[in-house]
Amino acid sequence: MNKPENFTCSALLIGSPNCGKTLLFNRLTGLQQRVANFPGVTVEIARGDLVRHSGVELYDYPGTYSLEAISGEEQVAIEQFTRALEDPRLGIVMCVIDVTRLEKSLYFAQQVIREGRRAGRPVVVLANLIDVLHAHKLTIDLDALGRELGAPVLGISARTGEGLDTLHEFITATLREPPPAAEAHDAPDILLRGTAHQLARKYGPRGDVLLRTQNRIDAFFLHSAFGGAAFFLIMYLLFQSIFTWAAPAMDAVEAGLGWISDLVVPVLGPRLVQDFTADAVFSGLGAFLVFVPQIFVLTFVIGLLEDSGYMARAALICHRPLRFFGLTGKSFIPMLSGVACAIPGIYAARSIESPRRRFLTYLAIPLMPCSARLPVYTLLIAAFIPQTTFLGGLVGVQGLAMFLVYFFGMFVGLLVTAFVSRSSRIQESDLPFVLEMPAYRRPALLPLLRKCWRRCGLFITKAGPIILAVTLVIWVLGYFPNGGEDLGASWLGQLGRVIEPVFAPLDLDWRYGVAILTSFLAREVFVGTLGVMFGIEAADENMVPLVDQIQASGLGLASGVALLVFFAVALMCVSTLAVLSRESGSTGLATRMFFAYVGMAYLMSIAAFQIVSLLGG
Amino acid sequence: MSRSDVTFPLWNLRRGEAAVIDGFDPVLPEPYRNRLMELGFHPGEVVTCLQAPAMGAPRVYRVSNSTFSLDDDIARYLQLRLVTDE
Repeated sequence: MNKPENFTCSALLIGSPNCGKTLLFNRLTGLQQRVANFPGVTVEIARGDLVRHSGVELYDYPGTYSLEAISGEEQVAIEQFTRALEDPRLGIVMCVIDVTRLEKSLYFAQQVIREGRRAGRPVVVLANLIDVLHAHKLTIDLDALGRELGAPVLGISARTGEGLDTLHEFITATLREPPPAAEAHDAPDILLRGTAHQLARKYGPRGDVLLRTQNRIDAFFLHSAFGGAAFFLIMYLLFQSIFTWAAPAMDAVEAGLGWISDLVVPVLGPRLVQDFTADAVFSGLGAFLVFVPQIFVLTFVIGLLEDSGYMARAALICHRPLRFFGLTGKSFIPMLSGVACAIPGIYAARSIESPRRRFLTYLAIPLMPCSARLPVYTLLIAAFIPQTTFLGGLVGVQGLAMFLVYFFGMFVGLLVTAFVSRSSRIQESDLPFVLEMPAYRRPALLPLLRKCWRRCGLFITKAGPIILAVTLVIWVLGYFPNGGEDLGASWLGQLGRVIEPVFAPLDLDWRYGVAILTSFLAREVFVGTLGVMFGIEAADENMVPLVDQIQASGLGLASGVALLVFFAVALMCVSTLAVLSRESGSTGLATRMFFAYVGMAYLMSIAAFQIVSLLGG
Repeated sequence: MSRSDVTFPLWNLRRGEAAVIDGFDPVLPEPYRNRLMELGFHPGEVVTCLQAPAMGAPRVYRVSNSTFSLDDDIARYLQLRLVTDE
């Protein structure tokens, strides 16, 4: 075995969910976490260097209750773990258990010890949350527990740092001079399960002293009346955080890019280079950098909810209504986030363990009425829906239309998930709803901020290049062959004329076709492009002249409603597709969803056109 | 203490009530049965319903020193038996 000074050792951290493993990992590595994603699944194995043992890499494996998988993701995590045991560089396996909830941890710990022995790897059991026992004046005989388990047990607290000096000494001693390999055994799982139960009874804290505080808080947050009110208040704050708190930073990103662009572009030589830099490069950068503040804020707020223990309660409260549509309570926050922007919503869906429910949540998120749809809806409603009011001016038809189109998207999203969830093909891969209620804890801010930063970094490096590339392609199509003089005469304009028959059933001409094509960059681009097509400067900032032009063009109400329906359903957002592809690990899924939703939007808009026409619109 | 002869599913346990786990419905697939036992839902163990939120939401149960929320899609397969003081 290599010595730590040789920089070639590795250590492995594993444990059951909610045992404080991640916090311990952050303590041991000084937060220098790097994450490796495995294709096709959302299994993260974090990697970092032990700060007090130079050259020792620590791997943090996903939490699981046993080495007997009940889902595809657990299977992947377990396979990765068993493979890691064979790695000749592996110097020590650290299995974290929650000392306040021994039963759920000990079975898994015994399995890890058994597999460690088989592979000839030293295993140490880390009894985390020892500070909680001490705070309640409870004790546990860790030496005796260690003797029964057949592996040393060290009491630690990842939160307070208690026992970590001893752990560091233990790691040093083990890596310098590995203990003689313990005798391997083949104890079957059923025996280990019974032993875990007995050991938990023998050594675990007695009575409900540790659960009293949790039960008192749960009595409020899960109360049939107060619990619902608290849930809606917290979700309102979450929603506000994405919409409002991130807005100044998003404006700053846009302004910053604009400032740099204004600084750089004039000093560039030929006009082509200037146009390319300003309209392709900086617009492309802005198309994804502007989402970074939202992702940061959302990750932070969701992290607060997760770390505090509230997320599990929130999932529980809204589980039943969403279950009807094939979703889970954990789908709620991603979908709510999707109302602001699909991208943070898709990231938020990571917290859904069930692959099936996560897949269904992915299906629903792009149909949530995201903020990018708002300018499109505003333009179309102003142009096509009369300003009539009734009930003494209390209810306006335009406001009602906005309300209806907002909820239309949500309704379609739920219908899609309900329909797909009832298809026999994916019913088999479901998992029952069993959720551990973690103890309420104060979130650790520094690791959380690190996590937010890492998530933003992943978005910039993985999704950003795809968004930038598509932006460049659209720019080239719109710029050539006439040097950006006339969008109508560009390749994009020509393409608009080619596809004009596609929009003929909606009574829309090629200009709308081009605007729809460019809205693939981001839906709100539809407004700006249409402004260019009608010869109006900065239509996205002042819509009134464009509204007048559209009304003067004689386009009917049926076409307006059809466009509203189209934008409510169509997945016209390259950023969403890029992130969806990345997060699901399946470009095929993102592609299928794009064509399915565009196709569905097209058919539904034709239906809407026909219905409104029949009604005399 | 004596045990009632009548068994009933965990989902029927009301808030504040406690009962002893009698076994699992044979319909429940083995991996799920094993997972429940790994979490502490062993036959003979006392389980208490701590919370029963509104709108039929999954209920919160205490077993050993842990609390779990189970929906009826799995809670109905755990058979309980009431324990009475005599």
